[in-house]
Amino acid sequence: MKKSSRIFDLLFGAGLIGVSAIALLYFLINERFEWIPEVALELARDPEILKRPPAKKCSECHDEIFEAWKKSRHSISWTSETFIEASEDRTKEKCLPCHIPQSVRGEKPSPRLDLRDEGIYCVSCHFIENKMHGPYDLLAPPHPTYRNPDYVRSDFCGSCHEKTLKEWKATRAEDTCQDCHMPRKRGRLTQKPGFNLLHKKRWVGDHRFLHGKITEKDVILETRWEEKFFNASLTNQTIPHFVPTADNGDPRLYLYIKFFNDKEEEVDRAKEIIAPQQETALPYKQTLNYRYRLFDPVAKAIIELKYQPAWSKEKTRIFTQTVSR
Amino acid sequence: MEHLRKLLITFALVLFIVSPLQAKDMVVKEPPKSLSKYYPPQSKQPKWIQQMHKLSTHFGGVFVNLKEKDFENVDKHADQLVEEYKKTSEMVPEWEEYFDIKAAEVFAAAAKTHDIAKAGKASGGLGKTCGKCHAENEVSVWAKFHWPSFHKIEVTDPISEKEMEFEDFMGSISSSFKGVTVNFGEGQYGRAAKALKIFKSRYMELKSTCSKCHATQDVKRFYVGPDADKAFAGLSEELNSEKPNPGKFWKNIGLLGKTGCKHCHLVHRTNAFIQEAWEH
Repeated sequence: MKKSSRIFDLLFGAGLIGVSAIALLYFLINERFEWIPEVALELARDPEILKRPPAKKCSECHDEIFEAWKKSRHSISWTSETFIEASEDRTKEKCLPCHIPQSVRGEKPSPRLDLRDEGIYCVSCHFIENKMHGPYDLLAPPHPTYRNPDYVRSDFCGSCHEKTLKEWKATRAEDTCQDCHMPRKRGRLTQKPGFNLLHKKRWVGDHRFLHGKITEKDVILETRWEEKFFNASLTNQTIPHFVPTADNGDPRLYLYIKFFNDKEEEVDRAKEIIAPQQETALPYKQTLNYRYRLFDPVAKAIIELKYQPAWSKEKTRIFTQTVSR
Repeated sequence: MEHLRKLLITFALVLFIVSPLQAKDMVVKEPPKSLSKYYPPQSKQPKWIQQMHKLSTHFGGVFVNLKEKDFENVDKHADQLVEEYKKTSEMVPEWEEYFDIKAAEVFAAAAKTHDIAKAGKASGGLGKTCGKCHAENEVSVWAKFHWPSFHKIEVTDPISEKEMEFEDFMGSISSSFKGVTVNFGEGQYGRAAKALKIFKSRYMELKSTCSKCHATQDVKRFYVGPDADKAFAGLSEELNSEKPNPGKFWKNIGLLGKTGCKHCHLVHRTNAFIQEAWEH
């Protein structure tokens, strides 16, 4: 046999073994996590991960999730100006558990003392009892991840969003918090070269924790005239919790009504503040009615609905409607 | 005779004015600035009150264990009490003189005899040092560091939609309340009805204000709850009727005052007055 042919066979054999090893590893990591002995999982673990690292450390592998989280309100839960002002320079005890949670796991968390500027970060939600947890079982150096179905259930979010969870449960809606606020798309959990090839594509939740946009299809306005009164009603048609909703924040809908006479002169105005803290928010599929006495002759009303989130003083318009008599 | 009477009265007045404070008198003075570093935001945790709890636990631990005849733990608590007492005495320089290290050591030594009567007797000297500081400073410390400050609360006025200081907002509620009662008293029912809308809007804004500190709905409802809703509904009904009934009107006004205003003022005003004196 020629020498070159022997070298070729050797290389071919080595290549075959290498490819088989990678295929086996890919299969084990992605399909048969339970076959891997605990000892092997321990070997794969980087002890640094057990020291509750900052989010930047996680970004070394999970860059896309990190970048999404950075755009979220969760990432600035401790550093936002609105929070600092509302919490009297972060001194109010009631704010701390959810703005700097030690560990989120289905009940009100405890506040942590370290890395407070990270807000609600990777470790808060995924690091439980010295192990990484998530929606999938995975052997992925530098840390194995253990599957916990709670990550796709609303109860998990209810650790902090208690009131909203309660409102959502009462609707019996099928869509979970994650379905609307963490919509999933197919992608890889890691972007680190090499490691990314060992992960098959999975459904990955959007870690921007999206805030839905309220439209006139979501909140329906109806009106009715009487001789001395004007009646308006609002119905939360599509959003399976109160609108707006918050445990401690103060988001609001503002309903403005201006009344005009037949000369187009403004004769009166009214306003409603629709806010969870005032117990005036709109329950799912329910209608709230508002009644106004007309002191002067009125020919038409212009009605405007605006939304102001908890973290801003800015209002955005949802709709404007003119109703003639 | 008249001169003598005036002289005596003047003397009595001077004597009254210059008399030193009696034990029952209380001066609520602002705590020293150095204490701030043991409370948020300067400290991540309320370290001063935690330190007080440590002292209290070790002091109590001595007696609990003496009663249980667990002398090993009596000794531990006695030693830890002295250690923490010394540490506490160095935390706020302005309060150094309240502490008597010797009294703490005497108490620890008495505790270590394992004779509960001796420990009880020796606790008096140490207890006095705690009691003196508490009598002179406890109210101030609680007012300064444990009650959120009303003066830092900003309220969005629902009428103007402008941010206001809490005190100013309370002033505007009061004005709009008078808009209702004065107009009603004058028989201007239409004006009173318009004023009621403004007053109600501001009054209900207090629910948002309460939620800046109170986390539970029940607490808020104690101040602005079903009674207030009922009173407002009653007032609105009267003011929108052809002939408002003064009896029903004033009954509902009274209900608002008793259930909302009075509840909140009884709980919060004293502390707010103390804070106001320091912050203005």
